[in-house]
Amino acid sequence: MFVDAWDPSYGASYEGGEGGGDGPASSSSQQVDVGVEVPAAEWAPIGVSSSVRAPDVVFLVDGVRRNDAGLWTAEEDGTSYAGLAASYAAGVVRCDLARGVAEMAGARVARGLFTASPTVGDLLAGTVKYEVHRVSGTGEASKLPAAVQPPLTALEIEISAAARDGGSDGADLLIVDGPLRSRRQLPRTIGYIKTQQKQYLPAAQQAVVPRLRPAQRTPVFKIETVWGGWSWYLRLPGSSGAPWSGVVRVECSPELSPDQAIELAELSVVTLPRLASSAYKDPRAPQNLVPIAGLERRLRGMLGDARVLHRVLARETARTRLTS
Amino acid sequence: MIRVSDETSPVGRVLGTADATPLQFWTAVSPDSYLQLDDVVVTKRELPDREPVTIAGVVTQVRARHEGAQFDSDVFAIADGTLPAMVQEAAEITTTRVDPELYVPPAPGAVVYRATGEARDAALHFDRMERRVPMGTGRDGVPVFLNADFLDGTRGAHVSISGISGVATKTSFATFLLYSVFRSGQLGADGPNARALIFNVKGEDLLFLDHPNTKLDDKTREAYALLGLPAAPFPDVRVYAPPRAGDSSGAPDVSSRLTGVDSFYWTLAEFCETKLLPYVFADADDERQQYTMVVHSVTAHLNRYAVPAEGGVSIDGKRIGSYQDLVDHIVEQLTDDETRSTWAGSAVNMGTVNAFARRLINSKRDLSRLIRGDLASRRPHQIKTAASAQVTVVDLHNLPDRAQRFVVGVTLKTEFEEKEKSGTGRPLLFVVLDELNKYAPREGSSPIKDVLLDIAERGRSLGVILIGAQQTASEVERRIVTNSAIRVVGRLDPAEASRPEYGFLPPAMRQRALLARPGTMFVNQPDIPVPLCVEFPFPAWATRKSESGPPPAETLRSIVQGADPFAVVGSGGGSDDDIPF
Repeated sequence: MFVDAWDPSYGASYEGGEGGGDGPASSSSQQVDVGVEVPAAEWAPIGVSSSVRAPDVVFLVDGVRRNDAGLWTAEEDGTSYAGLAASYAAGVVRCDLARGVAEMAGARVARGLFTASPTVGDLLAGTVKYEVHRVSGTGEASKLPAAVQPPLTALEIEISAAARDGGSDGADLLIVDGPLRSRRQLPRTIGYIKTQQKQYLPAAQQAVVPRLRPAQRTPVFKIETVWGGWSWYLRLPGSSGAPWSGVVRVECSPELSPDQAIELAELSVVTLPRLASSAYKDPRAPQNLVPIAGLERRLRGMLGDARVLHRVLARETARTRLTS
Repeated sequence: MIRVSDETSPVGRVLGTADATPLQFWTAVSPDSYLQLDDVVVTKRELPDREPVTIAGVVTQVRARHEGAQFDSDVFAIADGTLPAMVQEAAEITTTRVDPELYVPPAPGAVVYRATGEARDAALHFDRMERRVPMGTGRDGVPVFLNADFLDGTRGAHVSISGISGVATKTSFATFLLYSVFRSGQLGADGPNARALIFNVKGEDLLFLDHPNTKLDDKTREAYALLGLPAAPFPDVRVYAPPRAGDSSGAPDVSSRLTGVDSFYWTLAEFCETKLLPYVFADADDERQQYTMVVHSVTAHLNRYAVPAEGGVSIDGKRIGSYQDLVDHIVEQLTDDETRSTWAGSAVNMGTVNAFARRLINSKRDLSRLIRGDLASRRPHQIKTAASAQVTVVDLHNLPDRAQRFVVGVTLKTEFEEKEKSGTGRPLLFVVLDELNKYAPREGSSPIKDVLLDIAERGRSLGVILIGAQQTASEVERRIVTNSAIRVVGRLDPAEASRPEYGFLPPAMRQRALLARPGTMFVNQPDIPVPLCVEFPFPAWATRKSESGPPPAETLRSIVQGADPFAVVGSGGGSDDDIPF
């Protein structure tokens, strides 16, 4: 028996199947090519290659979001649409591991009003502006939170592209929190997936994952789907010892050559374990990386105080109701 | 109106995560600047329909912390470069001035400027001081001043200096302050005309005030120039030392300073005539005893019946030539049943007389060299600041405790009585007395303590200013400490620093006083709400034989001449002064 390291309110780091503890449950129907790095029959954990030098500079990108208020519109025909006022922010940390300086290289905060109402415009509350994002369809309240994700992802992409504006030594590494999705065109970039919900590997190869020791990875495999790409599993140090604890999946752009993908995989093995968090400091340790946790804290600070924003929204909407 | 001068530069903003109050607020320091303790800053508060309020203050605490760190161990992740965090410094400002007097807090976010020039003077109230005596430089290297009104008795007087012996440089500060009073010209004619009476209690370090310091370097000269003072020794000093023990010629008992020292003593005739006997019993414990009655009747008897006779005195027809003889005679008369009542009154029992006699006999060893019957009464031997030089140093360090008390008590009494007689507060007389806790202890009473209390309470109007120094202000008579307008603290003992006598020091400054370096003092004066941290320059005069330069010309003259006839005309003139005819 093992206790999951994650705080229960965050769910589990992997979704167990009926067997429990066997790894990700829902087996993916996707086509997977497991024989890229080593032949499928020879799959075994791969440790740190002695020839790989850790990058001096690592960029990490992440975004946070918060729902500030739920709103209801009053249309002239008597109907009403749900609305969601949300704040979201994306930022990038530049970890200069050689100099020992981690700084926020860029951050951007945006606020949006998500609704299907055709009549509502931008919401100005004091100095704060909620830009309207019109949602297609009926726009039920339950569907609105999902609508925040695309603008946030767009913000993350924007900030990721700007991350290297300050200069790049050509050997740095950009780590994106979550799947790469549309960010695959960024150079030297890996996606970092904390929770494992899908089973990508065939059973024979899947069995290699629990055998990984800290700072070891599986061979690179390729997921042959639209959003797929090169991928590998990696175990971070500080896991509880449960078969899938501390395991993350890393992916990179499918447009890279197999050699380039393997090179990134080797870089990730020397870089990511260094950034792993410890259980008593982070409810999602070790998967939630230390710079990401710090960045999220800063970004949440930049979102502003939720109670203040809620009050400002309430006051502002009340004022416009009176004047109209 | 405090003007924010052009040179001022923004150093940060008032922060809003801690309460900003009119008297104290915190400032976040911008990343490219810094604030240190004692820095002077100024900020503005805009008000509707009114002129803006300028709030000025000094930094009383500075702190730096990692923002974005949650755990103590996060510092390692931050230093490794894995956790993004920001170092943020913040400074606590204690308000010194609000102009116009409208006590509103500064608005969080308001820009805070470093105050220089006029703005700094205004913040520290220097602009409102009509006469300001430089007393050193602040931590920012700019002069800080003492309001002369609180020194010369106009609005207050007396200085109390506390600190650990040896490191606190109490005497050095006292002498520097005197030098500044004499030489800054801020007191007008009162400055150069003022007199100083310094009691040298420890070592011979105050005996070279008129000798240039050979270790004086250009840096120190610059420090003096910055304060508007010449870097020179005291121009006009006279040193008095007790006669050498067992030496019938009455040569002064000093070992390092050989020229320009006069010996001081009292003739037996003076001793009897001016009623000095009570000062022989100047111990605080003595006053509680029964025999004080005997002391007073014997004093009165001596005053009435002693007749001067060739240096000594003659009592009841008996010629007495020394203090020993006087003591023996008194004891003899008191133990004799026939004469006792005429000396001590009739109601005195034998036990009391014996207690008196025992102590009187004990004083023989200590006082016989000071109370003489064998030296000429015409020879100058009295300590009189009015007839002496600008600075009179009385060397006590060779004397035993009882003799020190006698000299201090008698000298102060004489000077104070002179002042009372003259009835004018001018010229000013500064009295520098170290180990005040010995002469005016909190408990008990003694003739010296009475004199010192008199000075503390009435000296202000008579122009007698006490500059008292002590290791522990808590052991000094409270009325003397409370009467001191200016309180100075050097390095303090940790247990002492927590006493209520130092309540004028804010907590952070109290902590700093525990590690103040020699040459650093905290000065509290009535019109500035925060004590100022002062660094005063190294003395321009010698403080020991090894660093003393050539002695001034006047003192060389006194090798052959006990009293310089020209010194009477225009003292302080020096050799190059022309005789005005």
